[in-house]
Amino acid sequence: MVTSLDGKRFAEMVIQGANHLAANAKTVDALNVFPVPDGDTGTNMNLTMTSGAKEVQKNVQAHIGAVAASFAKGLLMGARGNSGVILSQLFRGFSKSIETKAHISAKEFAAAFQAGIESAFKAIMKPVEGTILTVAREAAKKGVQTAKTEKDLAAVMEAILGEAKTTLSRTPDMLPVLKEVGVVDSGGQGLVFIYEGFLAELKGEELPDTPSVMPSMDELVNAEHHKHVQDFMRTEDIKYGYCTEIMVRLDRSKPSAKTFSEERFRSDMSRFGDSLLVISDDDIVKVHVHTERPGDVLNYGQQYGSLIKLKVDNMREQHSAIVGETHHALVGENEAEQAQKEKKDYGVITVAMGDGIAALFKSIGADVVIEGGQTMNPSTEDILKAIEETNAKQIIILPNNKNIVMASEQAAELAEEKVAIVPSKTVPQGMAALLAFNPGQPFDKNVQAMEEALGRVKSGQVTNAVRDTNIDGISIKKGDYMGIYEGKIVKTSPTLLEASGQLLSHMIGAEDEIATVIYGKDVSKEQVNELVSYIETNWPEMEIEVHEGRQPLYSFILAVE
Amino acid sequence: MPIEINTHYGQIDISNEVVATIAGGAAIDCFGIVGMASKNQIKDGITEILRKENFSRGVIVRQQDERVEIDMYIIVGYGTKISEIARNVQQKVKYTLNQTVGLSVDAINIYVQGVRVANP
Repeated sequence: MVTSLDGKRFAEMVIQGANHLAANAKTVDALNVFPVPDGDTGTNMNLTMTSGAKEVQKNVQAHIGAVAASFAKGLLMGARGNSGVILSQLFRGFSKSIETKAHISAKEFAAAFQAGIESAFKAIMKPVEGTILTVAREAAKKGVQTAKTEKDLAAVMEAILGEAKTTLSRTPDMLPVLKEVGVVDSGGQGLVFIYEGFLAELKGEELPDTPSVMPSMDELVNAEHHKHVQDFMRTEDIKYGYCTEIMVRLDRSKPSAKTFSEERFRSDMSRFGDSLLVISDDDIVKVHVHTERPGDVLNYGQQYGSLIKLKVDNMREQHSAIVGETHHALVGENEAEQAQKEKKDYGVITVAMGDGIAALFKSIGADVVIEGGQTMNPSTEDILKAIEETNAKQIIILPNNKNIVMASEQAAELAEEKVAIVPSKTVPQGMAALLAFNPGQPFDKNVQAMEEALGRVKSGQVTNAVRDTNIDGISIKKGDYMGIYEGKIVKTSPTLLEASGQLLSHMIGAEDEIATVIYGKDVSKEQVNELVSYIETNWPEMEIEVHEGRQPLYSFILAVE
Repeated sequence: MPIEINTHYGQIDISNEVVATIAGGAAIDCFGIVGMASKNQIKDGITEILRKENFSRGVIVRQQDERVEIDMYIIVGYGTKISEIARNVQQKVKYTLNQTVGLSVDAINIYVQGVRVANP
């Protein structure tokens, strides 16, 4: 029974605590996820505690107040990391409360822990529950309660340690990040190790070699993976692609297993990759490693005995599933191919129906013609593909249909290249815009010139009505030809020639000089000739251009400028 | 001027206020920080502890060319290792900004504007 604690004994406690923490620093590191998952809480606490213990060793004397002051000073000077600073603050308050005492009773001992908490909580603006501070606070509270009736310091310390452990095990419920990863708070765990050292000294016991609260393999693996997911923002950055876990039952008859040493096993394994965890007992070794060559790991493990459990996960697959980058990876391959060719300055993409029109667009400078139009709108993906196909730094899209403008805009946003959309609504507009394009001009100038060109041309289309209907006050019978001028039906007629002629009379003004006729695939040569002579008769001063568009649906696409 | 991040799908703009608020929030998670101080009160010699809603006023986000720098005006508790707290704040802020907005900060300058002495 320890009823009074003096400086010498306290110094021993500090040293025991420091040693016990040092022995378990790695365990604490592995638990570290909060607040900065860089896995150094154990190291930081250990360095802080070592500094404190060194200061104590320099000044061992009977007066406990003086020893505690040295301890606090050493902690303060050596404080490293958040947890180290907290530790120093806890014991600063502790030492202050017993400053003047030569030896302390159980009650004073418990009160000193309480003073430490008060001091620590003064130095934080926003205490977060579920950390080392919570563990220390609950433990100190229990200590004060126990000391009311208990005279034995060892019993008080035991109560403090017990409560610290209980609180530690509850930290995952208080702090979501811990629960998510499936570990307890690392700083709290470090504090428990220190308290364990204290208690062992007070009870005069040897500390167990193996840590009392060894985190399980699963906890360690979870913590490693948690770090991993945060480390890599991009799937391509993963260096070691396979998460490999093996369990080996050591076979003592094998030569290499005879001299099994965890140390050597670990260092050999570390050559295969990173995030290595090795846990072994007398006859089983558990290994977790991230490697690029899981086969090597298996072969190595097999030298020591039989493999009793194997698990290999492809982390790149998992990761890309997590970040939803599968699509990106595919695009990436394409990009790589394309990148081999030198990128040219400009690319022009347009959308058209009919291979005649497509050829026409190509002849005047379009790089890619996507097949599509009124009834078959290309998707954003089709346009994106076309953008890649151009292999150009700057791309101009001519949708030639108002329904495709939206998809083009989306594609432009998704593309990494500089993309502009010149919102052409008809094939003639698209052609006029394309003719205004000048590769020698800067991007913005070109886009501007092309947009201006849209307004210079008047577009008309002639098509069949697919059913009886009534639009814009014009009643249409199935099979009738409709003349559409800038998207509006202006004329219907049972004959193609009449509809086309009437449409043209709407379109052609005094200032116009050129009429372009693009005829569709279901129009005969005679019909085309009829229309041409009709134009020649009615507008003798007009120049006429005729192209074979082979477009479906629209018998004629007409342009006037 | 907002901070721009270009991604595969388009551009992300994050205003400096957002960065400042995140940085401030990360800083006060650190042990030893008892408050943020406003930068503008230095000239009066009064360092007033900012209330939580305003703590981003003690955080200045600056962009020079491609560099992003953050100045933080903090108040620490007495009896702590101030250099270590400042370092913890730097680490924590850098880490948090990197994780939450993918922003890599080039420098985090810590100005310790005050030490609060609490009654022992």
